[in-house]
Amino acid sequence: MTTGWNETADAVRLEAVRKEYGEGVVALDGVSIAFPRGGFTAVMGPSGSGKSTFLHCAAGLDRPTSGRVVLDGQDLDGKSETYLTKLRRDRVGFVFQAFNLLSALTVEQNVVLPLQLAGKRPDKRLVARILTHVGLDGRRKHLPGQLSGGQQQRVAIARALVTDPAVLFADEPTGALDTRTAADVLGLLRESVRASGQTVIMVTHDPVAASYADEVVFLADGRIAGRLSRPTAEAVAERMTHLGAWDRLAVQA
Amino acid sequence: MFTLAMRTLRVRKGGFLATFVAVFFGALIISACGGLMETGIRSETPVQRLAAAPIVVGGQQTFELPEEDPATLDPDDKHKFKNVTLPERVRLDAALAARLRAVPGVTNVVGEVSFAAQAGAASALGHAWNSAALTPYALKGEAPKPGEVVVDAGLGLAVGDTLPVAAHGSVGEYRVSGIAEAPQAMRDSALFFSASDADKLSGHPGRYDAIGVFGGDVAAVTAAVGDAGIVTTGTDRGAIEFPEVATSGENLIVLAAVSGGLSAMVMVFVVAGTLTLSTQQRQRELALLRAIGTTPRQLRRMVLGEALVVGVLAVAVAVVLGPVLGNWLFGELAAHHVVPDVLEFEQGWLPATVAAGASLLAVVAASFVAGRRASKVRPTEALAEAAVERRWLTPIRLITAILCFAGGTALAIVTVAVMTGPVAASTAGPAVMLWAFGLAAISPGVTKVTAMLLSWPVRAVSGVTGRVALLNTRVGAVRTAGAVTPIMLAVGIATANIYLQTTQEAVSNQAYTEDLRADAVVAGPGGLDPSVLGRVAAVPGVASASEYVTSTVFVDRPYDSNQNDDGWPALGVSELTGNAVEVPAKLGRQVGDTLSLRLGDGTPVDVRVAAVVSQRAGFERLVLPASLLAPHTTLGLAPQLLVRAAEGIDTATLTSRLREATAGLPVAVGDRDALIAAHAKGNEIGAWVNYLLVGMILAYTVISVVNTLVMATAKRRREFGLQRLSGFTRGQVLRMAGVEGGLIAAIAVLLGTLVSAGAIVPFCLVVTDSLLPSGPIAIYLVVLAIAVVLSLVAILIPAWAATRGRAVDATSIGE
Repeated sequence: MTTGWNETADAVRLEAVRKEYGEGVVALDGVSIAFPRGGFTAVMGPSGSGKSTFLHCAAGLDRPTSGRVVLDGQDLDGKSETYLTKLRRDRVGFVFQAFNLLSALTVEQNVVLPLQLAGKRPDKRLVARILTHVGLDGRRKHLPGQLSGGQQQRVAIARALVTDPAVLFADEPTGALDTRTAADVLGLLRESVRASGQTVIMVTHDPVAASYADEVVFLADGRIAGRLSRPTAEAVAERMTHLGAWDRLAVQA
Repeated sequence: MFTLAMRTLRVRKGGFLATFVAVFFGALIISACGGLMETGIRSETPVQRLAAAPIVVGGQQTFELPEEDPATLDPDDKHKFKNVTLPERVRLDAALAARLRAVPGVTNVVGEVSFAAQAGAASALGHAWNSAALTPYALKGEAPKPGEVVVDAGLGLAVGDTLPVAAHGSVGEYRVSGIAEAPQAMRDSALFFSASDADKLSGHPGRYDAIGVFGGDVAAVTAAVGDAGIVTTGTDRGAIEFPEVATSGENLIVLAAVSGGLSAMVMVFVVAGTLTLSTQQRQRELALLRAIGTTPRQLRRMVLGEALVVGVLAVAVAVVLGPVLGNWLFGELAAHHVVPDVLEFEQGWLPATVAAGASLLAVVAASFVAGRRASKVRPTEALAEAAVERRWLTPIRLITAILCFAGGTALAIVTVAVMTGPVAASTAGPAVMLWAFGLAAISPGVTKVTAMLLSWPVRAVSGVTGRVALLNTRVGAVRTAGAVTPIMLAVGIATANIYLQTTQEAVSNQAYTEDLRADAVVAGPGGLDPSVLGRVAAVPGVASASEYVTSTVFVDRPYDSNQNDDGWPALGVSELTGNAVEVPAKLGRQVGDTLSLRLGDGTPVDVRVAAVVSQRAGFERLVLPASLLAPHTTLGLAPQLLVRAAEGIDTATLTSRLREATAGLPVAVGDRDALIAAHAKGNEIGAWVNYLLVGMILAYTVISVVNTLVMATAKRRREFGLQRLSGFTRGQVLRMAGVEGGLIAAIAVLLGTLVSAGAIVPFCLVVTDSLLPSGPIAIYLVVLAIAVVLSLVAILIPAWAATRGRAVDATSIGE
C-alpha cells in the first residue's frame, strides 16, 4: 500500500484553477481545494456549476487555462499528453456514468485492461480478489452486454481499483441506476475507502449519493460554495436549494 | 494492443465489413492485373506449328537503339541502349540452313516458310510440304507435286478436289493430292505446296521464317548461328512462331500496370474512408480508452492492428481469387483481339505477393490517416453525450491540398506549354489523381461550402425536410465528405478517361481523314500483286492510284533525339520512287540530306530527303516509296491501293469500274467511307481497353460507396428515431434522407467534374484548341445518373430499414 506513495498529505490539490471555454465562458473561476488521502469526497452543484470541468481538470483529462493541479504529488502543468495518459493509467481510476466498458471485452478483460496498457502482467490473485470484492466473481467471462447496469458499474469500479490508484474519480456513477442498485454501488465505493484507505472523489447532483461521502464540496458558478462534513441527504438537499442566486434552478437539479 | 485489436474485431465484425470488402476488391483487381502483367512479361506461347523441332532458329527480332547520340559521346562513356522490337518479320537466309546441316550431331534441318493463303472461303497459312515434319503432320494421300496441294483435314476437302488458292496477290487452282492431319489443335489451317510453288507463293524465295533443327546440342547450334539469328528451345520457340506476341506482351504490361496502379491509389482513398468511419463510430469507446490510460500511440497501433488483421484476411481471400479474375480479363482481352489468343495466361506466386504487398501498404497508409484521427480523440469525449464533430481543416490537410493543387496546375502548364499531340494524354492520369487527392484533403470544407451554394435550389424545391437535410450535410460535413470523396473520385476518373478516349479518337479520325485524298480503295488482305497498280491506273476515270503500305522505321543516323522505342510510323506510296523520302519538319532535316534508316524488318537503308512537310502534331510520319517499304514488311506486298477519281466521275461509277477491272483477283473494292470506317475500327480496341479499365475502377468505387453509405446510414437509427419522436413522419425522415443523398450526389458530381476538367481541359487545348472534349454528352449524363442513383439507393434503403419499428425503441441508449 505504500509503494509509489508520495509523501505528500494530499491526493489531489487544485490551486487557483481557472478554466475558460472559447470566448469568455468561464467554467471554473479560481478554484483552490485539497483532497486528503483516504477520504471519500462528493462534489456537488447544480447543472452548469462546473462539476464536470472540475473533475476533468483534477484528473488530468483536461488542462486548466491557468492555475496548478498537483495529482499524487506531481504537478500536471506543462506535462505532455502521453505523460498525462501514463499518469492516469498508473495513478488514477475512473468510473463514469455510462459507457464505462469496452463491449468487445469480457468482465475480466475489461478489469485488467489498464494493467495491460501499461505492459504489466496482471496478478491473477489480485484480480480475483478485486472481482470478489465487487461481487462479480462468478461473471468474469461475461460480456458487458450480458450484465445489468449495476453490475456494469461494479466492473468499472473493479477496473478503477486494479492499478491501486492514488485517486478514484467517479462521475455520476449512479446516474443511470435505480435507487437500490445505486445504493449497492455507493456502498461499494465507501467500503473501498474504509477497508483499504482508497481516495474517492465523486461528482454527483444526487443528495442521497452525496450522503455516502465523508465530506461534500459544493460548486456554484465555477466557484467553491461551501463544504459539509458527515453529510446527510437532507442537509445536502437543504444546502443545494440555497446555492448561489439560482435557488429555483438548484431545486430542479 | 494487438490482442485488444483482435478481440475488438471478433465482436465488432460488422464495423469492419466495409474495410474488408474494400481491401478484398482492391487486392483482387491488383492481383488480377499482376497476373496480366506476368503473362505479358513471360509472353509464353505454346508452340504449335513448330512443335516437333527441339531447336528452332528465328530472326533477330530486336535491335539496340542508342539512348544518346553516339557521335557526341566520349568513347570512354558507357553507351546506353534500349531494346527495340522490330514490328515486321525478320527472315533467315537459306544459307544458314546449309551451315546448320554441317553441325555435328544434327540429323535434320528444316526451313519453314509461312504465308497467308486464302483457300476458297477459308483463310489458312501456306507452307512447303517438306516442312510438314516440323509439326509433324501425318499424310493421307500423296505429297504435292507442282500444281498440287496437301490440305489440312479441318478444311473438309477430299483428294482429287480442285482448290482455288489466293496467295501473294494472285489466284491459282491446285489439285488436292493429300490430306494432312495435325497431332494437336492448331490456330491456323495449313496448306502444303511443292517446294517450288511455296517459294513462288511466299514472295521471298531463299529466305525462311524459321529453321527447325533436329538432333545436335543447343550450344553447337548457337555457335553455328552466331548473330545471324536467335536459337530457342522449349516454350521460347512460341515467340518465333508468333512474333506478334512480343508487342502485345508489352501492351499487356502497360495496361496491367496502369489499371493496377490506379486501383491501388483508389484503394488508399476508400480504405482510409471506411477506417475513418469505423473509428468515428467508436468515438466514445476510443475516448474511454484514452481516459483509462491508452496513449495516443497505443491507439494508433490499435487502429493499425485492426486494419492489418482485416487487411490480411481480405488479401488472403483476394489472392486466391485473383487468378480467376485475371483469367477472365485475359479471355476478354483475347476475345477482343487486344492480345493474341495463342498467348497463355500465366499467374504464379509473384503477382499474388505483389498484390498482397501493395494492398497491405495501402491499408497501412489508410490506417495512418484513420489512426491520426483516432489518436486525437479527447478523453473527455467519453463523458459527453454527443460526439463532437472533428475539425475540418488541419494544417496537414491544407498543406496536402496546396501541394496537390500546385502539382495539378504544374502538370496543366506542362501539358499546354510543352506537349504536342496525343502524347499530351500521358499527363492526364496523374493530373486526375492530384486534383482528386487535393480536393479529398479539404473535402469537409469543400462539402460545407458546396452545400451552402446548393442551399438555394434545395430550399426552392423542398420544405422542412430539405432544410434539415441541408443542416445535416453542413454540420456533419466530415461524415458527408466520407461519402462524397469516393463518388467524386469515380465521377472524375470515369469522365476524364472516357472523354480523353473519345477526344483522342476524334482527333485521330480527323487526322486520317484530312490526309486522305482517296475516293476508293482496292484492298487485298493477302497483298496486292505489283501489276494491279498498272491495271487500276489504266481504268478510265482514275486520276491517280497509289499503293498504300504502313510500317515502322527507325532513324539510325544522324541521331534523332525525338525517337522513342516505337520508332517513326512509315507510309509507303507509289508517287515516290528510288530512295526519296518525305519527312516531317519535326525531324529537323533539310531537303537533300541523307538519312540512314532501319526498316521494319531491321534492314538498313540510306534515303534522301525529297521533301519536308509539316504534319499534325502527334501524327507525324515518314513517307517512303512503296517499292522500298513493302518488301520489308511481313506481308511483302502492299495490302491496299488508294484511288482518286478523275474530275466528274462519281464514287459509285469509280468503284464499279474498279470491280470490273480487278475481277478474278483476290481483292475487295471499297469507297472512302469504307476506309474511314476501317480506320475507326482500329481505334475501337484502344477504346475497349480504356472502357474495361474505367469499368473496373468504377465497379470498385461503387462497391465502396455503397458499403460506406449503408454503414453510415444504418448507424443513424437513433437520430432518425429522435426526429420521429419530435414530430417527423417516417415519410419525412425518408424524404430528408433522400435530399441528403441528392446533395451528396450533387456535391460529388460537381467536384468530380472539376477533377476531370483539371485533366481534360489542358489536353483538349493541346490537341483540339478547344476547352471542351469531343464525344457524346450522353456519356457524361450516364455517369451523372449512376452517381445520383447510387447515392440515393445507398442512403434510402438503410434509412428505410433503420426507421422500421417503433421510434422509441430506436432512441434507447445502447451500443
